[in-house]
Amino acid sequence: MTDVRVTVNGATVSVPIESNWTLLQVLRDRLGLKGTKEGCGVGVCGTCTVLLDGQPVSSCLTLASNADGCDVLTIEGLGADGRLDPVQQGFLESTAFQCAFCTSGMIMATKALLATVPDPSDEEVKDYLAGNLCRCGTYIEVLQAVSRARELARSAS
Amino acid sequence: MANVTIGSSVRRADGLEKVTGSAVYAGDIERPGMLIGKIFRSTLPHARIVKVDVEEARRLRGVVGILTPEDVAALPHPTYGPFLSDQPVLALGKVRFVGEAVAAVAAKDEETAEAALDLIRVEYEELPAVLTPEMAIAEGAPILHEERVWPHVVWSDLKSSDYRPGTNTCSVFHLRKGDVEAALASADVVIETATRVPVVQHAHMEPHAALAEWDRAGRLTVWSSTQNPSVIRAQLAEIFAVSHSKIRIIAPYVGGGYGAKAHPRIEPVVAALARKVGRAVRIVLTREEVFLTVTRHAAAVKIVSGVRRDGTIVARTVDALYDTGAYADSGPRTAKNGGYAAPGPYRIPNLRVESSAIYTNKMSAGPYRGFGVPQVAWNFEQHMDELAAELGMDALDFRLKNIVGEGDEIATGERLHAANVRECLVRCAKAIDWSAHPAGASRQRPLPRRLARGKGLSCHIKSTFTPSLSLASGRMNEDGSVVIYSGTVEIGQGARTVIAQIAAEALALPYDRVEVVLSDTDVTPYDQSTTSSRSTFSMGNAVLGVAVDLKQQLMALAATQLEAAPADLELRDGMVTVKGSPGRALAYPDIIRARFGAGLGALLGQSTFQTEGGKLDPATGQGKASAFWFAAACGADVEVDVETGSVTIRKMAMAVDAGRALHPLNCDMQNEGSLMMGLGTTLYEEMLFDNGQPTNPTFLDYCLPTFLEMPTEFESILVETPHREGPFGAKGVGEVGLPAVAAAVGNAVCDAVGVRITELPITPEKVLRALSARWEIEAGR
Amino acid sequence: MRRFDLIEPSTLAEAARVLAGEPELKAIAGGTALLVLMKQGVFLPERLVNLKKIREASYVDFDPVRGLRFGALTPISGIESHAAVRRHYHVLADAAHKVANIRIRNLATIGGNVAHADSQSDPPAVLVALGARVAIVGPSGERWVPIAEFLKGTYETALRPGELIREIAVPPPAPEEEGVYLKFVTRTAGDRPCVGVAAFARCDRGVVESIRIVVGAVNPVPVRMTASEEYLRGRHVSGRVVEDAARLAADAVDPIDDDLRGSRWYKRQVVPVLVRRALERILGPAASREEGS
Repeated sequence: MTDVRVTVNGATVSVPIESNWTLLQVLRDRLGLKGTKEGCGVGVCGTCTVLLDGQPVSSCLTLASNADGCDVLTIEGLGADGRLDPVQQGFLESTAFQCAFCTSGMIMATKALLATVPDPSDEEVKDYLAGNLCRCGTYIEVLQAVSRARELARSAS
Repeated sequence: MANVTIGSSVRRADGLEKVTGSAVYAGDIERPGMLIGKIFRSTLPHARIVKVDVEEARRLRGVVGILTPEDVAALPHPTYGPFLSDQPVLALGKVRFVGEAVAAVAAKDEETAEAALDLIRVEYEELPAVLTPEMAIAEGAPILHEERVWPHVVWSDLKSSDYRPGTNTCSVFHLRKGDVEAALASADVVIETATRVPVVQHAHMEPHAALAEWDRAGRLTVWSSTQNPSVIRAQLAEIFAVSHSKIRIIAPYVGGGYGAKAHPRIEPVVAALARKVGRAVRIVLTREEVFLTVTRHAAAVKIVSGVRRDGTIVARTVDALYDTGAYADSGPRTAKNGGYAAPGPYRIPNLRVESSAIYTNKMSAGPYRGFGVPQVAWNFEQHMDELAAELGMDALDFRLKNIVGEGDEIATGERLHAANVRECLVRCAKAIDWSAHPAGASRQRPLPRRLARGKGLSCHIKSTFTPSLSLASGRMNEDGSVVIYSGTVEIGQGARTVIAQIAAEALALPYDRVEVVLSDTDVTPYDQSTTSSRSTFSMGNAVLGVAVDLKQQLMALAATQLEAAPADLELRDGMVTVKGSPGRALAYPDIIRARFGAGLGALLGQSTFQTEGGKLDPATGQGKASAFWFAAACGADVEVDVETGSVTIRKMAMAVDAGRALHPLNCDMQNEGSLMMGLGTTLYEEMLFDNGQPTNPTFLDYCLPTFLEMPTEFESILVETPHREGPFGAKGVGEVGLPAVAAAVGNAVCDAVGVRITELPITPEKVLRALSARWEIEAGR
Repeated sequence: MRRFDLIEPSTLAEAARVLAGEPELKAIAGGTALLVLMKQGVFLPERLVNLKKIREASYVDFDPVRGLRFGALTPISGIESHAAVRRHYHVLADAAHKVANIRIRNLATIGGNVAHADSQSDPPAVLVALGARVAIVGPSGERWVPIAEFLKGTYETALRPGELIREIAVPPPAPEEEGVYLKFVTRTAGDRPCVGVAAFARCDRGVVESIRIVVGAVNPVPVRMTASEEYLRGRHVSGRVVEDAARLAADAVDPIDDDLRGSRWYKRQVVPVLVRRALERILGPAASREEGS
């Protein structure tokens, strides 16, 4: 086993890992952060989306070793002092979820999108989020949630 | 009095947990000393098991125990199943599909369990396999189930299913009305349409997950991603010969089910493994394993209709073969459901339906959103367009001429109530700007150079599981707040919310004064299932009953205190008041305090709601098939790229008759789900096999629709024809619209380019091949 | 996943030394292809050389004289978003953008993509059309190989045991050249391409001066439509000329059969259609078909 030093949701931790572990396994099984999910194991569904040094990645295809020295942001790291992040608030107000197994991933992807493109068109949103699957079909509400999140972020700043 | 919360899209009760990632699913749960389980699976489609050798695997460091077929054979009742009890906890004697569970390992972690699987050796004697229903029913085909199998204890509608033990025909549903042969002979026009749909996946984002733990007193707790806690309990009770009160099934939040989690899937093997090793065991399936676990029935359907020149349909025959895979599962019911839906929502006096569930050496097919109707609607609604074309009639007019309405007799001899399929169809047509034109006109038109536009319609009626039983209970606390206990599972549909709305409405309370405890069989009373779009109607009525029970207790107590007769009282704003005298009122906490004393007490309420029917004549299929009927329609406006065959959806409209939309947004969102799942199976999804082995069992190779596959425009239409028995007139919506999607698109494609695709999915290649055939025909002219 | 050991060099030279010492050893970059095979049990290495931490190998350099160079470990998203690539090689940025989804693009590397040589991929067709070259380091030193020679077949490249891609170089952009990459899918947007067409052309007063057309995802490797190119070179652009050129593409491909995305027959049908559409995009308005022609 080797140790990786990784900053998860702002807290730096040292985690002993095996070479064959993925970042997803470290988050869920070692650090007890269950909000990130596994849906397909091959990087397609997006339920395992986390931000690695600010970039959305499939944590199911990220070797734990490659997170060494990196910043990881998961759904649990959003919001502060009991308040929701504007993206979370947008999803809540727009009811942009049904079974919500995809929701953590959608929210993380949206967070990354708005950090890169603060005012995306609907087409840009669809294109960026096309890698996050929702079988319950809640795509319309997610688009509304992204809009709402932008409004909330704007009025907060 | 205006409704307090019914009819408004209140904020969902599960929202905060879900947007913060704190909603708990079965695979998230940890228990002390928990082990990880993995299933060892068959790699052959049909074979006798000669020897299972787990010795080397057992010795691997970190492996705690292995469940073998011997262990399972020693169980009091080693099989289960929703219809026939034919599914073994582990394969006994032989394997019947690639992927069947042959052993199960419990180890300290996933990696060790996987390594142990590599060390298990099984010797098989391969048997010939049947991979399609046609192969399975052919003369001399190898038989999957040689012995008669007995039905599962809980539900048994065997009598009307023409079960055929010892053959590969699991069951046949028969429906007869009038004199079909004579009517066809006298018809002006007779047309036949043959169609197929392939095996597809439900593709719920959360794979099946279950955690089983036996305590030292012999009580079993299972946390499972299931739609069916009460039935899981009953089946496990039978398998282990343990009383129901010693088994607790908890369904936490479920990450999508759509029917794939409607019956025992991995719970029996996890529970057996946990018992063997004496520790909690959790199994979470990989996505590849989900592909091996349950599918939607593939089907081959042939429909023949006779019509008169004036457009009246006089007769119809339906022959359907549903591929139910290696075990009966829900096959007989699916085939029956599809069978009596296949005549369509039309007045047809002469009918013959034969709808069979056939065994093949593939994983079980099970309940899937639409339950047998998508497979036949793909046929009968395209068939309707073919008939219209033959008659030179507009496709909408032809349907409206024959469509059933309130009080009309349908295929099973029932009279339709509150399923306004006409309204659904008309509104969809309007939503896509339908303009009357002869169906099949596109066959006379030359094709454009590149893009062709077309529109299509589809409609149907569908039954719900009948008979059906839901119990609910609840209490009002001393402060007047309410808790409702319901066995309905929150699978994303917003159950928690609608249940709270119904109780709040009936008790004149704000919506947030009602908490809902769901799906824990130690706490919530019996509920048949969260399937069949039945929860709003059945559980809704049960919850309404609980509220009424509490209301009556409150009023009886208040009557004494207010010195009025209960008949003169009403509930308003959390108080019992005398009608017409707003000053004479008592708030609920005051009523309870007067009864029990300060700071003490509660009122308990309970209710049982059961629908009747479901017994159909075995020869004619006549009877009350359904406690209530659903109606839906779709309209599709598509564009076909004639050079590549690609189909783009410009607009879809989906109308369902919700009875009463208790939470309109939830209803719309169910339609969005029906739409995207419908589009997925219409355009992209298909499981492929090589000698029973799935060849595309990952999301890399089995494609699901994304944001970019959304239609440019989608309109969800909620028709409201109050049902006299529904809570506040409401019925269900969950799966109702899905069956109409495929044929609406198929009809639109035909309207655009004059070719009819009869096998799903509608791929660009199929369209291009059909177009090429058409051009070749035209070039030869 | 089964247990394996990770060797984690911090420079490419070190990585090359390790690989040279053990020819059976495989390297892993982004992991998006390899980890899937490992999870499926198709590929079960005992040891892997992890290239992901070699920071020196992730860069994008552009100058107008030397052209574009990117390190093998540059993530595909790095290519898609780099200002110089978007400005001077927008077709390459576009093709990179069309790969899978944003998460995969943040992990997968351009070197990994080229070395894996999956036939049904987007960037290779454009790199071939741009005349890219691949810098290989190995036991016998460094060599450059034109990408069209580097890609030999499905999962087959010119890499010898112990060799690694160090860098990919793209010549300076040709002035006044129009280019396009069309990704054609038969299923959903993030799926592998059924057909990819990369095309670059320069016209002078309606006459085709230079033309390169590459079809990807159809043959095991991207293939130049030389017959179509020869037909077009020196001709005056018209709808009829473009159609005739495109028609030649049908016989220039030898498609892989794919149950999931399109049979050999289907690919032969759509290749000329997509080639024509690509040409219409880059040869100006005269390239479009007139109505009724």
